[in-house]
Amino acid sequence: MALPRKILIANRGEIALRVIRTVREMGLRSVAVYSDADRAALHVRKADEAAHLGASPSSESYLNIPKILAAARHHNADAIHPGYGFLSENAAFAAACEDAGITFIGPSSKSIGLMGSKTSARRVAKAGGAPIVPGTEEGITDAAEAETIANGIGYPVMLKAVAGGGGKGMRRVDRAEDLRSLFDSASSEALRSFSDGSIYIEKLIENARHVEVQIFGDHHGNLVHLGERECSVQRRHQKVIEESPSPLMARHPGLRERMGDAAVKAARAAGYFNAGTVEFLASDSGDFYFLEMNTRLQVEHPVTELVTGLDLVRLQIEVAGGAKLPFAQSDISLRGAAIECRIYAEDPANSFFPSPGRITSLAEPSGPGVRLDSGVYPGWTVPLDYDPMLSKLIVWAATRDQAIARMQRALAEYHIGGIRTNLSLFRLILNEPSFRAGDLHTGYLDTLLKTQPEFQPAPPAHVPPIAALALNQQKKQEAPAAAAVPSAWLAAGRAEQLR
Amino acid sequence: MSRSTRINGSPVVPPSDASLVECEPGVYSILHAGTSFEVYVTENCIEVDGHPLSYEIKDPRQWTRSAGLAGVLGKATITAPMPGKVVRILTAAGHVVTAGQGIVVVEAMKMQNELKSPIDGVVVKIAVSENEGVAAGAVLAVIEVAG
Repeated sequence: MALPRKILIANRGEIALRVIRTVREMGLRSVAVYSDADRAALHVRKADEAAHLGASPSSESYLNIPKILAAARHHNADAIHPGYGFLSENAAFAAACEDAGITFIGPSSKSIGLMGSKTSARRVAKAGGAPIVPGTEEGITDAAEAETIANGIGYPVMLKAVAGGGGKGMRRVDRAEDLRSLFDSASSEALRSFSDGSIYIEKLIENARHVEVQIFGDHHGNLVHLGERECSVQRRHQKVIEESPSPLMARHPGLRERMGDAAVKAARAAGYFNAGTVEFLASDSGDFYFLEMNTRLQVEHPVTELVTGLDLVRLQIEVAGGAKLPFAQSDISLRGAAIECRIYAEDPANSFFPSPGRITSLAEPSGPGVRLDSGVYPGWTVPLDYDPMLSKLIVWAATRDQAIARMQRALAEYHIGGIRTNLSLFRLILNEPSFRAGDLHTGYLDTLLKTQPEFQPAPPAHVPPIAALALNQQKKQEAPAAAAVPSAWLAAGRAEQLR
Repeated sequence: MSRSTRINGSPVVPPSDASLVECEPGVYSILHAGTSFEVYVTENCIEVDGHPLSYEIKDPRQWTRSAGLAGVLGKATITAPMPGKVVRILTAAGHVVTAGQGIVVVEAMKMQNELKSPIDGVVVKIAVSENEGVAAGAVLAVIEVAG
């Protein structure tokens, strides 16, 4: 094993660009891949080389293993970074890379297989000594059997797709009489999304936080944790804001070490190397339970990078090349506070409806402590075909309060014109007392949204006249152009004369 | 025949003693009473120092659709805001619905989105069926004020 020389990034958008940047810093070459919809995408513009995969649907492009391997061979790439999503947790893809003699920058296909199925992950984690939520260890496809088990565990329970992710095939059940219908809908959704309708049942921990631990291992048996991320601000089980450290840690001395230890144990039981994340449910009293493991780099990895000072992608590439971790657990400490907002093309004021389209104007925040991992530019048309995430806005500051103030400042600098975005959602949350106090749980945002908050709060009284002034100027300039367009009445009159 | 400018739904008179420069297309710096403002004007929104505002220009020479038409006519048409696929229909013609109640679920960009009734009323028509592909602007359902 040696450090790869040329790395193909089997992904798109901001994460492809994020990997390309580190590849360049390391003096290596990058190969982007793209679909028809992404020919003009930013990651293609910024890569050293680029390979066309096929039509826009993911199955023809970013999920197509033979096409990606063919592109890697054609460009002589000796390693593949899968990013997150798409093929990043696909054991068959990792195995295909291994068979083709291409370094897969991630864990082994065996570890992905072990931890990719939620039920198998629970068994592995339990055997490794991590605490788990009471529930089934096998997937179930029969509603009657599910009913018996749920009655045994006690309501409320959560139903989750064994092969699931991203909130698909997930249902909360509060009463026994609802179980069968919710089980059937979860199972059919899981079957559609993952070609596997089996469901497992877990006791629902009320008001739980989602706290996850970043772990990192090399091929020499060294395995450490890099602290935690609090990802409790979620909408429909999708993370919206992440931060490190978790506000819970200040309230329970020693909790970080206990959770970190449990995460390392779970990862060790799976023979894990490279970057991974062990997700836990944690209660305010400091109890925690293993939830699942993500066998890849996470969307929210930048908050860990900012508080640890590490470049996780560089570490991934070095470890995949056979290097030993350059530090021990005792060398790791968290400094300051980091927060990330996931900026989406969706309209919070209209049921979060996706809003693809052309970005007509763009002003990006910068300045002290601001990091923007973006995949867009002015003039870019956000395609319909993929997840509508535009960028991740991440800030670092010495304390959590300062990080919140910095994020508010950065959000005020951020302007995205032409499409609707969820920037207003973050302005709302960052002003909200429970968020500011760090009193979070996974139902926090859904509860807040049920109150139908105002996403466009009334501005100070002196602001609208200023807006009107700019608007009038803009329309004055557009007017000559409008006058050049022939009037419909004039055209009709001329047509009449021609008769 | 003068235009009137409405910001966030209210008529507004701009200040006459401000300094304005357009720094980039659609981006203005305005100085007024010693205060500096940065303003972005786009097709559907104005932002002043991070405050997003909606706007409307009433030009008597142009016939424009009123946003309040639904209330005036006692009828609301639910249309697809973007291309997608109808995955579920949550009600049926003849059913009484309340404002905010889900009518049709459309899947687009891998997300399921519930389209809600803007008014209290009766469903007079569901114009689509489950699994049907719909184009942006396609009529999905029509709701009429009851009574």
